[in-house]
Amino acid sequence: MSKNEPITQINAMAQAPEEQPKQKSRRGVEWFAENGIFVFTAVLILSAAIFVDGFASLQNITDVFHRAAPIGIVAVGMTFVVISGNYLDLSVVAQVATAAVIMIAVSNEYGYFAAVLAAMLAALIYAIVNGVAVGYFKANAVIVTLSTTYVGLGLLRLLSGGSIFFGPPDGALAQFGAGKLGPVPYSALVLVAMTLILAFVLNRTNFGFTVRSFGINERATRLGGTNTGLVIIGAFLVTSLSAMIAGFVLAAFSNTAVSAMSTGYDFQALAAIIVGGTSVFGGKGSVLRTLLGVIFVSVLSNVLVLLNIGFGYQQMALGVLIALAVTVDALARRAGKK
Amino acid sequence: MTQQDTIQLGGGELSLWGKIKLTIARRTEGRGVALLAIILTVALLTEPLVFTAYQVTLGRIALIGLVALGLTAVILMGQLDLSVASTLAASGVVLAIIPDLTLGIIAALLTGLLVGAINAFGVAIIGINSFIWTLGMLFFLRGVALVISNEAPVKLTNADAGIAFGQPLIGPITPRILIFILVFIAIQVFVSRVKMGREFYAVGGNPQAAKDAGIPVKRRIFTGFMISGFVSALAGVINTLERTAADPIAGSTVLLASFAAAIIGGNYLKGGRGSIVGTLIGAGALGVLQVTLTLSGVQVPVQQIFIGLVLLLAVTTDPNNLRAVLSSIRSARSSRVKVQKPASEPNKSTAS
Repeated sequence: MSKNEPITQINAMAQAPEEQPKQKSRRGVEWFAENGIFVFTAVLILSAAIFVDGFASLQNITDVFHRAAPIGIVAVGMTFVVISGNYLDLSVVAQVATAAVIMIAVSNEYGYFAAVLAAMLAALIYAIVNGVAVGYFKANAVIVTLSTTYVGLGLLRLLSGGSIFFGPPDGALAQFGAGKLGPVPYSALVLVAMTLILAFVLNRTNFGFTVRSFGINERATRLGGTNTGLVIIGAFLVTSLSAMIAGFVLAAFSNTAVSAMSTGYDFQALAAIIVGGTSVFGGKGSVLRTLLGVIFVSVLSNVLVLLNIGFGYQQMALGVLIALAVTVDALARRAGKK
Repeated sequence: MTQQDTIQLGGGELSLWGKIKLTIARRTEGRGVALLAIILTVALLTEPLVFTAYQVTLGRIALIGLVALGLTAVILMGQLDLSVASTLAASGVVLAIIPDLTLGIIAALLTGLLVGAINAFGVAIIGINSFIWTLGMLFFLRGVALVISNEAPVKLTNADAGIAFGQPLIGPITPRILIFILVFIAIQVFVSRVKMGREFYAVGGNPQAAKDAGIPVKRRIFTGFMISGFVSALAGVINTLERTAADPIAGSTVLLASFAAAIIGGNYLKGGRGSIVGTLIGAGALGVLQVTLTLSGVQVPVQQIFIGLVLLLAVTTDPNNLRAVLSSIRSARSSRVKVQKPASEPNKSTAS
């Protein structure tokens, strides 16, 4: 436990500059970067409830939860990689699809236990390949995960033959996917549980502290005696395991699995993380904020669907959203530096 | 050429083997040459058709290489342009929806320049990491392409011009290959002979030093991104003309292959080191690899796996990175030996 001391000091040092007096405009930008998401989410939900027909129905809210759950689970896990200063993990697309296909294809033959074991093995392989390349070989995370995405999707398509897998309609997985606790689907509960667990890991464990300090200052963390390569592998492992659980949830929801089912998850998860206020420069951010970002992004895309706006416009909207969020982040960072 | 001169100056007292070692250490194309040699050997042994049908192979190299050439200009400055594939798709769609061909080509190329300018604005003026900014651009442009094409492939109105464009000019040289060669020469001369192009290396090597030396870093970043945008738009125009149709989601394999070509060609992702010749070698290796795989009847997923593996290999075996990794391990080991003796007692207690 004595290990905790220097790390809390690092944390305190990271927070210290915020308490210094600053000019008003800088404060404004920083306040906006910190808290803008709360305002925007509230405004978005309120205006959607008032102006968009069919938003405020119970059926629609359940749909939003159902859609948000797998993306959200990916996003809260990927927050670790972003906070560690390694931009993002693009390979979650391949990982979610792999876990979903393994869950249904393997459980049909050998049962759920074998399926979970196989999916965990796949997640471990992804985490080790990504983590070793980024953590030990110091390779760029975007390029590494781009290539593992293609290798992974290629392997999945090759092994699955590109076919769609169906689970038994009355199996435990299908029941879980359709199950609800009151009005809340189980998948949303999994998202909340994952968020709470990962928030605890990030804020209350040595591993979480180290991931954050790595994002703030990689060199200092390494010189402090941390095995930084292992920390990076750990951050990727958190992401991989989350993507695996997201794959299970996705497979349960539709009771089918196909290699192309998770297209766009990388981008939506990144949008949620950045909109939530986690900095792509690393070090700054939180899992709970990512959950808020997930709510914002899911509600936004739900509203766009309800307004009958095409897929192309939705992609454009997400692109603009990311650009705005990173701009605010960069401006706040610059204001904080001066 | 200039690099070889400096080698002779610096290595006057070295033996022949030392000179060779120095040359290998100074040039950045080593891995590209090695990969090209391996792939050429394998292709020669398994699919000699790759060489007899060299027109196909050259066309494939030109397809991958053109985008990679533009990308290299950006990578030399330590930036990255992930939006190239969507720029290609969007400019292709722009060309196809405009009835007049000349006007369409101009509009498509202007689209590329505009995308480059927006990318550079985000990176140089706002100060956002180019990986994230151009990733946003990648998805935004895919949305734009989908919107203006109504989410379906668009036929080129002037299909005859497209068919004429696909015909060889002299021997096996189709207009695509000719344009590729011209762009290669242009960028090679720009980067190695023109002052502005030489400054790309300075910007990539150390932006602060470049700024202090009086180089307008932000303007160079604009130039680089606009080259990359323009070249990918050119690739989109060529694709649309040859296929007489534009696909709004085209270019996802091009994205991977062009990155692989530029990185295996020895262009250091953090900037300052690399060469256009290296990119050409990388594109050659990947083009031959793709054609070999296609001719041997390998499925598309397997091709993806191969190119993905080449990219992974390229990015992990970057000599600049490996050197840094090795030296950091060495320094960590030496500092540990010095520090650990007095600090060993408290360390033990925390470990247990």
